[in-house]
Amino acid sequence: MSFGRRVTMRKRVTSAGVALVANVVLWIVIPYYLGAYLSGVVPDLALAIPAFVFEFGVLFVILDVGAAFFQGMAVSVPFISGAALLSAAYLWLVTDGGDLQVTAAGTTIGLQFQLLLYVLVLPSLWAALRAPLSYLAWRGASMEPPAVP
Amino acid sequence: MKTRTPRGAWALRGVSAAVALVVILVVGTVAYSAYQDYTGLKAELGAGPGRAVGSATLQGSAEVVSINITVPNRGMYTLNVTVSCAPTPGVSCQPAQVSVPPGGEGVLHFRMAVADVSQFLATPGARINGTVAIGLVPFAGLTIGVDLGAFVKAPGGP
Repeated sequence: MSFGRRVTMRKRVTSAGVALVANVVLWIVIPYYLGAYLSGVVPDLALAIPAFVFEFGVLFVILDVGAAFFQGMAVSVPFISGAALLSAAYLWLVTDGGDLQVTAAGTTIGLQFQLLLYVLVLPSLWAALRAPLSYLAWRGASMEPPAVP
Repeated sequence: MKTRTPRGAWALRGVSAAVALVVILVVGTVAYSAYQDYTGLKAELGAGPGRAVGSATLQGSAEVVSINITVPNRGMYTLNVTVSCAPTPGVSCQPAQVSVPPGGEGVLHFRMAVADVSQFLATPGARINGTVAIGLVPFAGLTIGVDLGAFVKAPGGP
């Protein structure tokens, strides 16, 4: 992400449109149909909750479209950080905090991967922190006096 | 006019790359180890016929079931395998655990005694709830609920 470039309105609208389509497909369409399919196969899986997936999907769309539209501006920072934090929360909730239990045909299978989940949410948490830091770095650089030739 | 990327932004990109590298390395090695351990255990348990892992010995009306499994670890993390059973009337069991370092091999000895095997087998729906826990230390673990009663054989049976 860079905050120093000038972005035209046309590019903002195009980026927001692409973000809208990509996020609707990624966070609403695919999880919904995957959840509907999995709910038939393994009823106890946390992913098989269409309403939960849909609510998060709507929030993802709003935040990512906002981040794309306001790219390069200070106002994009809360959108970027919000989307990153939300993706970390989504991953945490959808995996039941890294402790999944599936019961099928009288057999219970449990998968515990808390430490792996911490590693998996690390990029999202870093992205949430990086957005304001990156903005501050660009802002600080723009306030520096120009180098003497 | 082209804007120069400030040094602070380059440093942040460097941290992002390092974080991505750590995630790729951890997920990659865990996935690789899980696959290698799965294929190793599958080969050891023998999906085909003739690789019995359990044996039953009659001692009067009681039966002692012994399960011996060789656990190979072809992965990159320590592999922990535990077999235990829930308290069941008339059944006593000795939980077994083996911790196998990468590239090593361990043997799991699990013993279970059924006090009155004839009564157990005559009880409809009788089962011995057991748990098999497989762990890739320290990242992931898998627990499977199994019916250990399936290893109890009828006296004089095959």
